[in-house]
Amino acid sequence: MYHFNKILAVAFIILLTGCSIGGEKKIKIFSIEKPREKLDYPMPTPLQMEEIYWHIITSENAEEVFKKLEEAGIDPVLFGITDKDFQVLARNFAQIRQKLQETNNLLEEYKKYYEGTE
Amino acid sequence: MIFGQIKMLITILLITGIAGAGMYVMKLRADNATLKANQIKLETAVAEQNKVLEQQEKDFKAIMESNKKLNVLINTFKKDLQDLDKRFTKKNRDIGKLALERTKAIERIVNGGGKNAARCIELASGAEHTPEELKATLKSQINPECPALANPNYVPFQ
Repeated sequence: MYHFNKILAVAFIILLTGCSIGGEKKIKIFSIEKPREKLDYPMPTPLQMEEIYWHIITSENAEEVFKKLEEAGIDPVLFGITDKDFQVLARNFAQIRQKLQETNNLLEEYKKYYEGTE
Repeated sequence: MIFGQIKMLITILLITGIAGAGMYVMKLRADNATLKANQIKLETAVAEQNKVLEQQEKDFKAIMESNKKLNVLINTFKKDLQDLDKRFTKKNRDIGKLALERTKAIERIVNGGGKNAARCIELASGAEHTPEELKATLKSQINPECPALANPNYVPFQ
């Protein structure tokens, strides 16, 4: 009985300390760097412009122009701008186009810088 | 009796000495292991720092390159606008008067210009160049509304 108690005590101690013998002494903390997911938006679809026709009307050809419009089945009405306003319109369009190009370029540069080219 | 006691004392001293030496060696080994681990950590830290510095240098170069590109682009924009103004006002040109005198010719020019300007907008929004646009090297072949954008191989005569 005495021996049985001793064996039991030893077995109990081994049971309690068993996992600590030869096991991990310290908790290991790993830090794995996971890169941020790429946004991967496709570049905006290019515009497809529709063609327009500019009519130039002077006091001399006005009648002829309207007649031609009527003959072609187009309402004889024109939305006009002066020569000076035409220059302004051309300049405005050029500025819009430049802004578009600048924004697109910036977008490409950002994409290249933050997402790489691969 | 005394001899026995001296013998025992020497034995104890010897055992203590050996044990002390053993413990000292073990301490040295532990110190050595710690130093080795520290050395590895330092080397890793230095390597990581070098990597960070390399990346920073790379980033800096990329930023400079990008800034340069955008500056070139903005200068091109300015030149394009100046060229557009020039086309309307060169040699005291008055497009209104010209339209009165040569209505059909100006109408053709204005429509051609409008078509070119529309193509410039398409290209600015990311459209692909046509082979003709890429091949254009002569003034007669280019899109005069935005030569830098439409015809990358055209070098204007300075």
